[in-house]
Amino acid sequence: MIKLNDIVVKFGDFTALHDINVHVKEGEFFTFLGPSGCGKTTTLRTITGFIEPVSGSVFVKGRDITHVPIEDRNIGIVFQSYALFPTMTVYDNIAYGLKVKKVKKPEIDKRVRDIARKVDLSDEQLQKAVSQLSGGQQQRVAIARALVTNPAIICMDEPLSNLDAKLRVQLRNELKKMQKDFGITTIYVTHDQEEALTLSDRIAVFNKGYIEQIGTPNEVYNFSQTEFVCNFIGDINRLGEGVLKDLQAAGADVDLKKHNYIRLERLHVNQTPTNGEVVLKGVVESREYYGLYIKYYITLDGQTIKVIEKNDGVNIYEPGQQVDVLLNPRDIMAYEAKEEA
Amino acid sequence: MNADKRRFSPELVLRIILLILFAYFFFGFMLIPCLNTLTSIFNVKTADGVRDPWAVIRFFLAGSMPRFVWNSLKLAICLVITVNVVGISLVLLTEYFDIKGARILRMGYMTTMIYSGVALVTGYMFLYAGDGMITSLLKNAFPGFNPNWFSGFNAVLFTMTFACTSNHMLFLRNAIRGIDYNTVEAARNMGANPFKVLWTVVLPTLIPTLFSLTVMTFITGLCAMSAPTLLGYDSINPEIVRLAGSSTADESFPQARAALLSIILALFTIILLTVLSAYERKGHYLSVSKTKAKLQKQKINNPVANVLAHIYAYILFIIYMTPVVMIIVFSFQNYSAIKGKRLDLKGWTLINFFGTADYSYVNDRGKTKTVAGAISGVFSNEKTLGGIKLSFILSAVAAALACVIVIVACNYIFKKKGKKMSALVEYALLFPWLLPTILICYSYRTYFNSDAVWYVGNQNLYFGKYVRLLIILAYTVVKLPFSLRMIKAAFYAIDEELEDAARNLGSSGIRTFLQVKLPIILPSVLAVFALNFNALFTEYDMSATFQSPNAITYAMVIQGMLADATRGANMNALGRRCASTVFIMIVSGLILYLVYGVGARDLGERLEAKKRWRNRFARLTGKAKKTDAV
Repeated sequence: MIKLNDIVVKFGDFTALHDINVHVKEGEFFTFLGPSGCGKTTTLRTITGFIEPVSGSVFVKGRDITHVPIEDRNIGIVFQSYALFPTMTVYDNIAYGLKVKKVKKPEIDKRVRDIARKVDLSDEQLQKAVSQLSGGQQQRVAIARALVTNPAIICMDEPLSNLDAKLRVQLRNELKKMQKDFGITTIYVTHDQEEALTLSDRIAVFNKGYIEQIGTPNEVYNFSQTEFVCNFIGDINRLGEGVLKDLQAAGADVDLKKHNYIRLERLHVNQTPTNGEVVLKGVVESREYYGLYIKYYITLDGQTIKVIEKNDGVNIYEPGQQVDVLLNPRDIMAYEAKEEA
Repeated sequence: MNADKRRFSPELVLRIILLILFAYFFFGFMLIPCLNTLTSIFNVKTADGVRDPWAVIRFFLAGSMPRFVWNSLKLAICLVITVNVVGISLVLLTEYFDIKGARILRMGYMTTMIYSGVALVTGYMFLYAGDGMITSLLKNAFPGFNPNWFSGFNAVLFTMTFACTSNHMLFLRNAIRGIDYNTVEAARNMGANPFKVLWTVVLPTLIPTLFSLTVMTFITGLCAMSAPTLLGYDSINPEIVRLAGSSTADESFPQARAALLSIILALFTIILLTVLSAYERKGHYLSVSKTKAKLQKQKINNPVANVLAHIYAYILFIIYMTPVVMIIVFSFQNYSAIKGKRLDLKGWTLINFFGTADYSYVNDRGKTKTVAGAISGVFSNEKTLGGIKLSFILSAVAAALACVIVIVACNYIFKKKGKKMSALVEYALLFPWLLPTILICYSYRTYFNSDAVWYVGNQNLYFGKYVRLLIILAYTVVKLPFSLRMIKAAFYAIDEELEDAARNLGSSGIRTFLQVKLPIILPSVLAVFALNFNALFTEYDMSATFQSPNAITYAMVIQGMLADATRGANMNALGRRCASTVFIMIVSGLILYLVYGVGARDLGERLEAKKRWRNRFARLTGKAKKTDAV
């Protein structure tokens, strides 16, 4: 569907994108994830045509669109700020793209009302000014405006970042549902890993203009290919030499020269080892209570390890309490030590 | 980096044409005439026809010319002190301290926004001149009182002190309203009284604004024109105008001297503005931002201080309101009441506004003579009406032209952000800001008073009615920097993603500009147009510099009414002057209301207002139907 081949983008002397290669499949919800300045928005803008790459090419459905003007690409965009035209009504905002394309008036009216219904905007809301709508409603207008011209692809640049936390979660679900209903290929840019994990079919993790990994949420989270990815996504413990030596002593196959990580939820407190888990002795240093779960800080071989325990009412451990920490060496993700790290 | 950059498009052609037009405008009507003024100083020939580049400088150093410079400086320095004292007082009394009747006080203090220049100065003269009402009152109360106190420096300083506080009421008021009230509360909580808070917390945050206002006031003082001219004070500007109209037969090289004075004025302005912009670049801006946390008025707890503050506030109020009230009242009085400066309760009339009347008098031989049409209203007097019409057209055209130039330029500047060319365009538009208005007008007057300027088709633009074109150009140029500052701010408010969105939806550059960007900035543009028009409509300084019988603008007509009043043929010139000022107040007031009241609404507010009206209408018709049924 969308293919990026060896895309390089430069701003003056600064190389913003190094050899980006992505293949997005038809109907897929594909997310560009990464910290700010990593190149995810630049990649998006290259696809939409606002930026022309120095080298490399962009293909959509097998057609090379690298040098096709923005307006001829048939790609819808939902902007971070929504970019709704403040001097037009909701109706006129949605109709704008059709008017530019000189679609006949009755046809415009039909399509605008059609799409408005699909994104849950009432006739009354259509006649309002954009500023009279709430943040969530404005987002729906932005989506309707992007979809009304029947684009092949829809691009969303951090569309939830302007909203408060609760609305963000709510709209996230609506977004996913809408995407499923429309079945449209979607490229989604975000720096929020939770958003990426919950929404995406696949994720590309960006860092400093490179793609570190492309994979399903599960692959990216549980089988992070690079140290950056495992650090950027989710919380994680880096295991110190003491713990690693203990593991070695217990017969586990760990490489002390590598950087070894383990996710918080892969450690367990005071449980009976079943298959191959190693038991280490630790002392509870402190705990944070989250309701759904409890996060313990446990001193283990001279380092502090974070452990998540489901708050299932079985046991709550007090600071100072001696505990057994169980971990399975299989869950350790190890990376070659790099010079700069 | 845009994908279509390489394509050759009609937009590119349009852009190149516009750039060429802009260059023509900048070089032809800003740079070259002003440079000509500069070089003319050194192009002086002695009586024997020998070129003597230093003659003017020598003349300057030896003669009486430094007096004009010193007088202007003296006025500027004194104004900085008096205007700041009064201006700060006005703002504190209406915004910071809890003074009873602050609303009414504020309206009084803001009256200078709806009349200024000639209208204001003549208004003050009406009260304070030798035969003025207040001076007469004072003379009766204190027999030793000097009836001619209101002339020269005193009169100029007095008038301008109260006339030049408009900027304080705009910017300082905004700054003080922008103060985070929590800081005041924190200081109070730690035991500071309101005056202590004022001194240690509030005033320090106002210093950037005050600095800018001080520089602006200083420049206003240096470049003062209408007050010194009308009240008789020998400062730079009136002298330039006098010299410009003088000839070598009367005195040595008057034009070169006028050029020198205007260049000196320009140097002062450039230095001051450089200081100001260096200061502003550090992040101190005159802000017009809105804050939601509202400053609460501070009660003055000490009863004596409280009473004194109230007395001070109301004295200022009386000073501001008296001319306004008197002018309004007397504009409805007949000529004898106005001449005698005595209110005649039976003498109410509309003749100063509309219609004409004959004037009869008994001459030396005891015969009754009648002068037909010697009394006429503003809208019936041919001369006055002519001035209004001329000013209306010239101001409207120039105000619109300035807006159009700035919008097109801003669109370019924002598109090519960071590029050299866009910076050049911006500096070119700010260029007139560095120059005193009189330098620009004087330069036009001398440079275009020739049929050798090829780029205007060798047509003498100072000749005949062409001078009106010259005035439009001068008006436009002078209004460019202000228009740029305001409209640029509006462009900043356009979300860049809007343009991307429009392009993504297939819109061309021109279409995006017309349908998306222009509607967003339109309220600001209309506001700038209205404010430009307002300032130019009663403008005096520029038309006085052009001194042409084909350019008798409204302000010049009003100035003329001063002279008319002494001749018998034109009996109610003073009354017409009062009526003119009232007319100006109404026009300005209306414009300011439209700009700040109605114009500030966005689409949502407009739609809601529409809905309210529709509901009201529906309720009315609904009711009507019901009564029908009954």
